[in-house]
Amino acid sequence: MSDAAVIPPSTVVLVSGGSRGLGLAIVSGLLADGLKVAAFARTVTPELRELAVKYEGRLHIGSVDITDAAACNAFVREAEERLGPIDGLVNNAAIGQDSLHVHTSVDQIEKIVNTNLTAPLVLTRLVLRRMLAKGLKGRLVNVTSICAQRGYSGLVAYSATKGGLDSATRTIARELNGRVLANSVAPGFFASEMSAVLGQTQLDQITRRTPTGHLTDPDDVVPVIRMLLCENTNINGQVIEVDGGASI
Amino acid sequence: MAQVMKNQGKVLPDDDSADLREIGFRSLDFSELALRVEDETGDELNFDAPGLRQIATVGDVLDFLLQLQSE
Repeated sequence: MSDAAVIPPSTVVLVSGGSRGLGLAIVSGLLADGLKVAAFARTVTPELRELAVKYEGRLHIGSVDITDAAACNAFVREAEERLGPIDGLVNNAAIGQDSLHVHTSVDQIEKIVNTNLTAPLVLTRLVLRRMLAKGLKGRLVNVTSICAQRGYSGLVAYSATKGGLDSATRTIARELNGRVLANSVAPGFFASEMSAVLGQTQLDQITRRTPTGHLTDPDDVVPVIRMLLCENTNINGQVIEVDGGASI
Repeated sequence: MAQVMKNQGKVLPDDDSADLREIGFRSLDFSELALRVEDETGDELNFDAPGLRQIATVGDVLDFLLQLQSE
């Protein structure tokens, strides 16, 4: 492989929605591997603050709403001043849904689309522009969902945004050829967090139908994200499902 | 433009009529150049792909950038 074709491992990674659940696990995992991380969320949790103390100088955190483009811009600039140029982005921030489409308000649909699709696209644009302007190569990981591939009641708008992000992943991989490796990681349902909205009966049903016999845990997903950010795999424009085989 | 090419180990020819394909200046290189100009001027230079596809020479690149800045 020629040098021109190699996208180096990320060294400074921006993680949206990094204060709890999978996002917090991603931040923690990348820090443990020696990377520098900039993480924001609407609310900075005590757990994220603890990491900032533990990894002082390698973790920059902030309270930022991903739908606030100006705040995201300011956070990225602060993070780069402190940590160096960002060469990795994990789009993880998202809001969930638990309502039949016919009973979901137009305002709520707009909020889901804005938070889960428009805002990540705008953040990606911002980070890619800064990478390109510096002549850097980088890596992008979009955290989507198996909902983008299969239908689950109560998640129409949510699924649409995750499918949209998967599509954007493929197009970015093509458009930024030679400069960026772009992939999606699509977890199955977690037993906690957003999956809690499904209800125990639905979760039990999904568990029974999962070949591995258990729902997805953040620790199942973090190694895949780390691989896409740090290893030389030549994986590009793909959606990697991490769901114990539930969707096969 | 010379800096963008230099970063890739290439040299910008003096001749404005030099063909971009022959010197290895690709569309993403133009994007990098445009973003560097943005940094200098403070103004965003947004444009559609068809305009970019008409650029064939070094001179075209410079003309297109000037045109974008005057819009």
